[in-house]
Amino acid sequence: MTLVGSKKNGLSAALDGRGTRRRRRRGDISPLAMRTAQLILTAAVLGAWELSVRTGLVDEFFFPLPSDIFQTVWLWVSSGFVFPHLWITMQEAILAFLVGAAAGLLLGFVLARVRFLERLLDPFLQMFNALPRVVLAPIFLLWFGLGIWSKVAFGFTLVFFIVFFNTLEGVKSVDRVLVDNARMLGASEKQLLRHVFIPSALTWIFSSLHISVGFAITGAVVGEYLGASAGVGYAIAQAQGVFDTKGVFAGMFILMIVVLIIDLLVNRLERHLLRWRPAQSS
Amino acid sequence: MMPAAQADPKKYAVELTGCTKQFPTPGGETYFAVRDINLKVEPGRFVSIVGPTGSGKSTILNMAAGLLSPSVGEVKSFGEAVSGVNRRASYMFQQDPLLPWKTVIDNVSLGLTMAGVSKAEAHSEARRWIEKVGLKNFADRYPHQLSGGMRKRTAVAQAWIVNPDILLMDEPFSALDVQTRQIMENELLQLWQESGKAVVFITHDLDEAIALSDEVVILGAGPGSTVVGSYEIDIPRPRDLLDIRDDPQFVALHREIWGRLKIEVSKTYETAMAEEGEVA
Repeated sequence: MTLVGSKKNGLSAALDGRGTRRRRRRGDISPLAMRTAQLILTAAVLGAWELSVRTGLVDEFFFPLPSDIFQTVWLWVSSGFVFPHLWITMQEAILAFLVGAAAGLLLGFVLARVRFLERLLDPFLQMFNALPRVVLAPIFLLWFGLGIWSKVAFGFTLVFFIVFFNTLEGVKSVDRVLVDNARMLGASEKQLLRHVFIPSALTWIFSSLHISVGFAITGAVVGEYLGASAGVGYAIAQAQGVFDTKGVFAGMFILMIVVLIIDLLVNRLERHLLRWRPAQSS
Repeated sequence: MMPAAQADPKKYAVELTGCTKQFPTPGGETYFAVRDINLKVEPGRFVSIVGPTGSGKSTILNMAAGLLSPSVGEVKSFGEAVSGVNRRASYMFQQDPLLPWKTVIDNVSLGLTMAGVSKAEAHSEARRWIEKVGLKNFADRYPHQLSGGMRKRTAVAQAWIVNPDILLMDEPFSALDVQTRQIMENELLQLWQESGKAVVFITHDLDEAIALSDEVVILGAGPGSTVVGSYEIDIPRPRDLLDIRDDPQFVALHREIWGRLKIEVSKTYETAMAEEGEVA
């Protein structure tokens, strides 16, 4: 297989001489060198920021010193101040994600298999999806109170639609031949779902998973920002209330790291579950 | 037909009587895919259906499979009306039917596991078939790691493992290169020879049809095509497919059948040209 792959590469490379050279040049940079270059870029940007604040080029009130931001991050982490907030936010995000994804998957599968329901519900789903979700936050606050459930509901509306539309599309785009073949081999409706539709929709669901995990956290934070008694969004809103821009940036930074770690875990899971797929790069 | 055949309707593995399939077109008209098809296939017989492009060959096969039901007419298998998929048939598709998320062995054993056979038992049976089609060392590969010919072999094993009484084949080897194709045809004949299975084989290649079959059925030009001829191929078996094209009997049959098929092919061609002219 690798033989065929490399042969194909060689052929297309031969057809496009410039491509060969570019490919070789790109291949010359080792991962280590790339990491170093990325570190240098980071240092340069942060250094320029630090310098322009210290020389008074930009106002420290709006753009706090990076060194101060990291100090605040360290303070929040070392004192343990941020962890209860983070835990609340994570709870909200996880609940919103689980409930939203489950509902999206279920409805996606049902509507993809029952054409009548799909046609019946389509305009309503489109309508709700067209609604900018942020406007729902106040009403959810009224309905579910200041606690975590208003944020879960808010995150749910974000996650649900992404997962739903991807599942619907994923199930509908299943290759006709795969379905016919499984039916000829004796598949019942349940077995079709298990052996053909779910695995086939999985690629679509996973491509939406990265986005929906991010949205679950966004939902939680925005919800907290608009009205809460705990959570990272609440902490950021508190800092903003006392014009503590360092705190605002520190909250942003912590969230960023957390989302990156979660995304890494999703990647791992994806690579495991979709291991049957041909490698994209080669 | 001989009177004895009529006395026992269970005799036919596949029996299409007066089958017409029509579809409504987006323009509100009715499109006839095939019209008044009569086809009888006895168990153990290898019957090929040959016809020009658009003559509804696949429609006939799908009706025999139960994937399509005829608008008019009746489909029977061993005397029983076919409703839903035909339980006694396996289907070999022109396209790649393997589930890309299952390994070769899981793909091959699929029909058995879905029928409730234990996984261990299904796997040991699948291993036997994988060996039979020459993929012994590839049981744990995923389809994308195999060549086109190897995927076809996997599909053959997948279709045969459930031991069907009927094999429906829709140009199964058309995507393969000529050499691989001849090898696969040879292997198919060897598998089939003593199996007693009925085969309905669709192809547009008359050479292939004559070389493999007991009977070649010619379809007329579409749309709304129907059976225009049926030829008994009495070349003795076992046949050597690599040399059969020089066989005088083969040459004579080919000349006779091609004489009939040619008319339909040129009709199809003229219709296509006329339509193109209308568009232009």
